[in-house]
Amino acid sequence: MEELMVKAEGISKSFGSLEVLHDISFSLTKGNVLSIIGPSGSGKSTLLRIITQLEKADGGTLEIKGCRLFENGVYAKAEEQKRIGRLTGLVFQSFNLFPHFSVLRNITEAQRAVLKRSKAEAEEKAYSLLKRMSLQDKAKSYPCELSGGQMQRVSIARALALDPEILFFDEPTSALDPELTRDILNVIRSLAEEKMTMVVVTHEMNFAKGISDHAIFMEGGYIVEEGDPVSLFEHPQNKRTKEFVKSFDD
Amino acid sequence: MQQLLLQMLDGTVTSLKVFVLTLIFSLPLGFIVAKGRMSRNFLLRGIVNLYIQIMRGTPLILQLIFVYFAPYYVIGFSYDRFTAVIVAFVLNYSAYFAEIYRSGLQSIEKGQYEACKVLGFSKTHTFFFIILPQVVKRILPSLGNEVVTLVKDTALAQTIGVSELFRVAQNAASRMFSTMPIFVAGVFYFIMNYIVSKMFDFFEKKLSYYR
Ligand SMILES: Nc1ncnc2c1ncn2[C@@H]1O[C@H](COP(=O)(O)OP(=O)(O)OP(=O)(O)O)[C@@H](O)[C@H]1O
Ligand SMILES: [Mg+2]
Repeated sequence: MEELMVKAEGISKSFGSLEVLHDISFSLTKGNVLSIIGPSGSGKSTLLRIITQLEKADGGTLEIKGCRLFENGVYAKAEEQKRIGRLTGLVFQSFNLFPHFSVLRNITEAQRAVLKRSKAEAEEKAYSLLKRMSLQDKAKSYPCELSGGQMQRVSIARALALDPEILFFDEPTSALDPELTRDILNVIRSLAEEKMTMVVVTHEMNFAKGISDHAIFMEGGYIVEEGDPVSLFEHPQNKRTKEFVKSFDD
Repeated sequence: MQQLLLQMLDGTVTSLKVFVLTLIFSLPLGFIVAKGRMSRNFLLRGIVNLYIQIMRGTPLILQLIFVYFAPYYVIGFSYDRFTAVIVAFVLNYSAYFAEIYRSGLQSIEKGQYEACKVLGFSKTHTFFFIILPQVVKRILPSLGNEVVTLVKDTALAQTIGVSELFRVAQNAASRMFSTMPIFVAGVFYFIMNYIVSKMFDFFEKKLSYYR
């Protein structure tokens, strides 16, 4: 049986009088990758930020791995929210590394402060993640000494260090040069191969097509079209999806 | 001459006391003021803002006189001059430090808080281990400026009759019909501030390992 990792039903969100999400429903099963595409301002980040608890939804119901974060817009108890938060990890477009910590400490800090792992345990985990990101030799460096691609790999390692069940990426390559983008996409691809459950907001259509099991096209706060990525990207049914996908063909 | 130097050292000790006590109280108090200035409660924010405006908008010398004499004229309560100096300086400097803290706190990117939230850090951990160290680095130069100014401002304590370094020098100058004591006092202030700046340079260097 496939385990449901994310189950969203009718999520809505407004900022003041601006409705940015309307009736968003989708689900994601364990080991699958969902990609979300859509023009700027369509609400992609807001959706990710609601699921990772950086933003509060106004309505709808959200379950993470069977645990209810909110139901009809009413949130679970603070403790439960926290527990659910540990199931999710988020990688930001702008990395948001801690500039005053070494690369190593960026990766160990939450393991120690939040998961109460010992220093040795946290460092061992950090080194193995750095190795996987091909950054072994950067453990003692500071974020300002790294390239954008390296910073993003550290931030992925930082998120992975907490062993999240679902990892969310919000345009992880948008702040990077094309050459560096490839490195990050490769890292995400290898996570997909290991059956990490992920949601990726991206403008990299070919990449999304290659790694995801399901794709969603959003516009104006609505899910306009969804389906398996190959048909969504190659034979979109909706007019707006067609236009959007076409704008990336050059 | 030796006598004069001894007297001046005595005055210097008083100046240093004003300096140290002001810092001890206003550095932490400034933080509370900054918090009030950034409060969501508009009444609290308004009151704190007014307080800061008054402290920055009127001369410290006037505040000194007010703090010392007002309680006496209003409720007949008189108190020690030295205490009045400390109260006035702390009130004044807390306001300036608050503005420095506020600019520092507000300069930290929202993303830092968001990363902390997503990683599950508690509010205290976020503040003390992630935000505060970065704030300190950013405000160190302006804090340094303010502390140097404080060394010089201690000379104002004489306004309400506390014999700090400058007062001692002036008295000696009129006794001796010479400006030499005043010049010596200048050298004293210069040395104190030289040490203060060196200390700030040291801390700035220590924190320059990252950008
Ligand atoms: N904190 C906020 N306050 C007010 N409006 C906001 C806020 N955050 C987002 N919005 C608005 O919500 C809408 C959706 O924003 P969101 O960032 O989710 O879009 P997006 O699809 O991620 O766009 P992009 O591709 O540019 O990142 C936009 O109109 C945006 O201006
Ligand atoms: Mg976005």
